[in-house]
Amino acid sequence: MLDRIEEQIKALGCTVWELREQTVKAWEFYFIRHALDQNRITEVETVNVTLYRLLEDGMLGSASGKLSPTASDDEIGKTLADIYEQASLVKNPAYTLTDKPVEAPALQEVNVEAIAEDFISAMSKVQETETEFVNSYEIFVKEITRHYRNSNGVEYTVRYPSSMIEVVVNARKEDHEIELYRMYDSGTCDADKLCRDVEKTLRYGKDRLVTEPTPKLNEFDVLFSTDDAVQIYRYFAIKTNTALLFRHLSDWTVGKNVAENATGDRVTVKAVSSLHNSSKDYPIDEEGAAIQDRVLIRSGVVENLWGPRQYSQYLGVENGSMVQNFVVEGGARSEAEVRQGDYLEVVEFSDFEVDPFGGNIAGEIRLGYLHQNGTVKIVSGGSVTGQMAQAVPTMEFSSETEQYDTCVIPRVTRLKDLKITGIA
Amino acid sequence: MKAPFSPYLDALAPKMKKLVELLGKSFDYVSILSTDSVGFQANISKRSKSITGSNMTTERGNVIRVWRGGQYSEFAFNNIPAEIETLAETVVRQLESQFAVLQRTRTQPYDTPILPDEPQELFVEKEAERLPERADMKTLVETFTALSDRGLETVPHALDCAISASSTHISKMFVTKNRFLRQSYVYTEGTCMAYAPNEEGEMKMAHVGVSGCGGLEILDGLTEKLEKLPRQMEEMLRAEKIVPGEYEIISDPGISGLIAHEAFGHGVEMDMFVKHRALGADYIGKRVGSDLCTMHEGALCDNSVTAYAFDDEGTLAGDVIEIDRGILKTGICDALAALRLGIAPTGNGKRENFAHKVYTRMTNTVFDSGDSTLEEMIASVKHGYLLSGTQSGMEDPKHWGIQCIIARGYEIKDGKLTGKVVAPVVMTGYVPDLLGSISMASKDRQIEGNGACGKGHKEWVKVADGGPYLKMKARLG
Repeated sequence: MLDRIEEQIKALGCTVWELREQTVKAWEFYFIRHALDQNRITEVETVNVTLYRLLEDGMLGSASGKLSPTASDDEIGKTLADIYEQASLVKNPAYTLTDKPVEAPALQEVNVEAIAEDFISAMSKVQETETEFVNSYEIFVKEITRHYRNSNGVEYTVRYPSSMIEVVVNARKEDHEIELYRMYDSGTCDADKLCRDVEKTLRYGKDRLVTEPTPKLNEFDVLFSTDDAVQIYRYFAIKTNTALLFRHLSDWTVGKNVAENATGDRVTVKAVSSLHNSSKDYPIDEEGAAIQDRVLIRSGVVENLWGPRQYSQYLGVENGSMVQNFVVEGGARSEAEVRQGDYLEVVEFSDFEVDPFGGNIAGEIRLGYLHQNGTVKIVSGGSVTGQMAQAVPTMEFSSETEQYDTCVIPRVTRLKDLKITGIA
Repeated sequence: MKAPFSPYLDALAPKMKKLVELLGKSFDYVSILSTDSVGFQANISKRSKSITGSNMTTERGNVIRVWRGGQYSEFAFNNIPAEIETLAETVVRQLESQFAVLQRTRTQPYDTPILPDEPQELFVEKEAERLPERADMKTLVETFTALSDRGLETVPHALDCAISASSTHISKMFVTKNRFLRQSYVYTEGTCMAYAPNEEGEMKMAHVGVSGCGGLEILDGLTEKLEKLPRQMEEMLRAEKIVPGEYEIISDPGISGLIAHEAFGHGVEMDMFVKHRALGADYIGKRVGSDLCTMHEGALCDNSVTAYAFDDEGTLAGDVIEIDRGILKTGICDALAALRLGIAPTGNGKRENFAHKVYTRMTNTVFDSGDSTLEEMIASVKHGYLLSGTQSGMEDPKHWGIQCIIARGYEIKDGKLTGKVVAPVVMTGYVPDLLGSISMASKDRQIEGNGACGKGHKEWVKVADGGPYLKMKARLG
């Protein structure tokens, strides 16, 4: 397919281009309780084409499109001609495609069938009770093969497993039943970790049935001990993305101290080329650049930027690849120390958001543990709101860390003085 | 003009009919949905410009659904070998290998009856003035550039003003042994979004949008909408934090739509009834809102971004009254959920694209109008907020909690807007309490379709929602 397309690109007179071919083979299983709702197979191949043209006054035009494997030569020709024409309309400051040869690792064998079987077997081993049980789950196991080629002769192919399981659990007390939702992304199936977390979620479900209304706490410390905390650390990573910086959606330039006068822990975020069992564990980005391990923020000070090649070049950033995996270093205190004093540990939000542009923090509390004056109350209702700019200087996080798919983050994170709208 | 049905699908039809016949030797029911949808996405701002020939609904591919022994299976693909017999053999062999895994893991099927296959033919080509595949991109880019420049000139302190537009000409074909359905329609949407920092350096956004079933003519409405951006940004920049508490609120049509979608839209998706994941199943025939609360759902409700003629399982589009004057009447469902519940499907079986599974999904979710004016509604508020600007929402069908993150609220005191603006606003509450508190509804209503809806945190599809201004009570924070 790529050869057919490349031939027609050259016939158009286009000398700068990129081709991205992706083949996804997926096995999917959907369950209601533990009965099979549906089984599915998908085999989908697509080619994304980006054509560039050098324009007057040093600008670079570009446009892109998608080609199906069933496209005829005529369709390919027409699509490419349209893209090439559109490329003259989109004028951006010039930048260059990668010309550094990359060495891709040997293609991995991905046994979709075996991984899927591991997930099905793992879910059958989850310890359920009469009143806390699995409602439904959906298993997605993919073998993804990405083939990249550009006009500078850079070409590579990577293949990796990418899995996801969505689990809904119920807990029941007399006529009252509640549900909790989990979505786990990973490379392959880590059966022990999956069972452990689903069983923990079942325990949360039991607690969810005996909650009291969250009291009006006004300003109170909130502790995050689930994957919701990824949103907090993703805020730091996104703020150092060159695309946001170029668009003035972030002002986190190199050297900026993002936690001036901090009294809490200072964040260190690293971009890494490989992270075991991440669902995006590949060392070469989608623009043909080798991903390098780099410190993005060291002790609260921006040290490196990352992002798409276009915006990285505009800002003079060398090797600004599109990173997928991040590691946040643990803090100075242990989890037990971070947990000292009064705080609200929220383990279930209906949806927890940290707006990467404005830094607004928001989420409705579905299950929380209010640690206050030496007692623990199980609470529900109301919301948590705050602002990252105000929370960062005093935030505390544990030395122990936990991996959530593409991110390693501190196991517990404490944001101080967030606003708690209670309902009691 | 009529949006012409895909010639590619017309040419493919005999092969797909043959494939249905071949697979019919191994399975008792076989259907194939084939898609060929073309379009574009353009983003133009001062600092970044892009055009791509793909967007969230452009696709070309096929999905086979088969039934045997109470079990449904699917095979999605987009490469077709020269010999259709080879494809049929591949499908059977691959599915058999999945069945072997299910046997090894002692997995039992959720026993489901076979789908009916009554003879039916349908050919629909909807109206669209300007098709996306024939777009004059040069003129469009010039128009968007002028709009972006105008936004930058007029919106206070704007760092950039991004114009985004997408349009898709959708063609879908559904084939079984006895049914042959084809449809072609176009939907288009566009937004203008400006951003600017406030005095504390926090980035604030203002945005407006247009959308509907139709071609590029829908984007002409952006020019008029852009004129609302400067005032919206001025309000966002001076907005204060809200004092948390319970207030009288008036939702504008956009927020009414968000509430419709999150409060009861998700709550009556009946695939959730099958899984016992929705409290709504126990409330059919019971009161869930005030007398002023009537809610419709269906692709036929409005000529919006999701106004199809048949859904992704070949069920014709519908218009369901979910809540009638406060009483929950019924939900919406896909074909398999309908079989499992012993009811008729409502035309709400949708896929993110051909490679994804069908779920029960919303189309147009809309509150009915009332007989008040907005002025009367504001005058009736002692202390509260007029809420505007959708940011996000999250459903909780099992527990009927609701969370909506709203861009801003305009303070009302003693029946008058005070000029004070609060932002952002997190609205939370219990759905029956919220809908039960609807005490006034305006005469007019609007439906918007500038967003996408997920099922849980995935499976994104186009939806539209709306309603009139509604007066309620809610907890804001």
